Amino acid sequence: MSGYKDIHEYLDDFEDIPGTRVYTAARARQGYHLNQFAMSLMKPENRDRWKADERAYLDEWPMTEEQKQAVLDRDYNRLLDLGGNIYFLSKVFSTDGLSFVQAVSTMTGMSVEDYQAMMNAGGRSPKGVRSKREGN
Amino acid sequence: MARITAGVGSSHVPLLGVAADQGKDQDAYFKPIFDGYEWTRKWIADEAKPDVVILVYNDHASAFDMSIVPTFAIGCGERYAPADEGWGPRPVPDVIGHPDLAWHIAQSLILDEFDMTIINEMDVDHGLTVPLTMMYGAPEAWPVKVIPLAVNVVTYPPPSGNRCWALGEAIARAVNSFGEDLNVQIWGTGGMSHQLQGPRAGLINAEWDNRFMDGLVGDTQALRSIPHIEYLRETGSEGIEMVMWLIMRGALGKSTKCLHRHYHVPCSNTAIGHIVLEPVDGTVPPSPTLEGNNAAAQSAIS
Repeated sequence: MSGYKDIHEYLDDFEDIPGTRVYTAARARQGYHLNQFAMSLMKPENRDRWKADERAYLDEWPMTEEQKQAVLDRDYNRLLDLGGNIYFLSKVFSTDGLSFVQAVSTMTGMSVEDYQAMMNAGGRSPKGVRSKREGN
Repeated sequence: MARITAGVGSSHVPLLGVAADQGKDQDAYFKPIFDGYEWTRKWIADEAKPDVVILVYNDHASAFDMSIVPTFAIGCGERYAPADEGWGPRPVPDVIGHPDLAWHIAQSLILDEFDMTIINEMDVDHGLTVPLTMMYGAPEAWPVKVIPLAVNVVTYPPPSGNRCWALGEAIARAVNSFGEDLNVQIWGTGGMSHQLQGPRAGLINAEWDNRFMDGLVGDTQALRSIPHIEYLRETGSEGIEMVMWLIMRGALGKSTKCLHRHYHVPCSNTAIGHIVLEPVDGTVPPSPTLEGNNAAAQSAIS
């Protein structure tokens, strides 16, 4: 475990990274049905039923009301907080016809154009966003 | 005797598959990326000509959902179809496996105390098919057999860099004990720096990525001790994929030289890195395990 006393210390460090939700076991448990719902959209017949009535489709899954609402709102930061993982959630935005850049930019508070311009200029610098504790 | 003759590192950004499939690889945005693979395409077709590639990659919620999360899984099947990732499968050929070598590696690894998951049937997503496209273009059939080796780098904790390196060494031992004459390459894919989630999305760290590529060359083993938290802080939440490059590096043995190297920002949300390595001294440590040194067990699987 590379110098950690135990798994708790290892996991605590993840919460110190600004603007990032590491997909830990706790999040994987919380988001299990949310992520499995998203995976179901890989099948064309499920995508059709989803598009016809999103709410009815969601109600087939044992997800929390908060999770369902965040999906309907396409609030991806909220979905990460509720246990979603971006690779599973990508099935939702792919079904919406959004690219990774378009969907990912919605989590940054930037417009797609500004986000794309940042990427073309070399991306977001790690300076200042490595650690909340260290502020570096 | 089978031998590992080279190692390749490469990003596997899905957008590169889209660009290749739609004939956009010469567009201004993509040209500098594809140009960086031109050297490798010539080398692999004219000189290197591997019979088999052990292709280390991660599945992106395609073949595996959250119901089963194997840490290390090896494909022992005859063939694998391109996955439908939500917008239909890529129009690329099926990937043909090498079950004899794959099963030999799987058995050897388990005796070497790497408890592999065996896969006989699965579809393969962009993590596996994009590197094939980058190295071979768009042939009617892939001119190489492929052994998929899938690593969990999505659900924490993924394997450590040290464990990945050691797995590479065990893969080299397994290949070296396969009787048939085969020219085998190992590819480590994914990365480099990228973060696809949260307000910090878009993170790129060119300096760190290039130091990582430096560390793959020569006889240093410094990369095996980088902790997960450093990948996360320095290279973004998805930069952790780079541990898969260490399986490739570990399999090349004691020392390597660099034949080709390329780096470009951006492709979609990601830094593209690509390196071609050759073993200089391909020696790997002997098996530290009981069954790995048991002649009867070893002859039973060869």
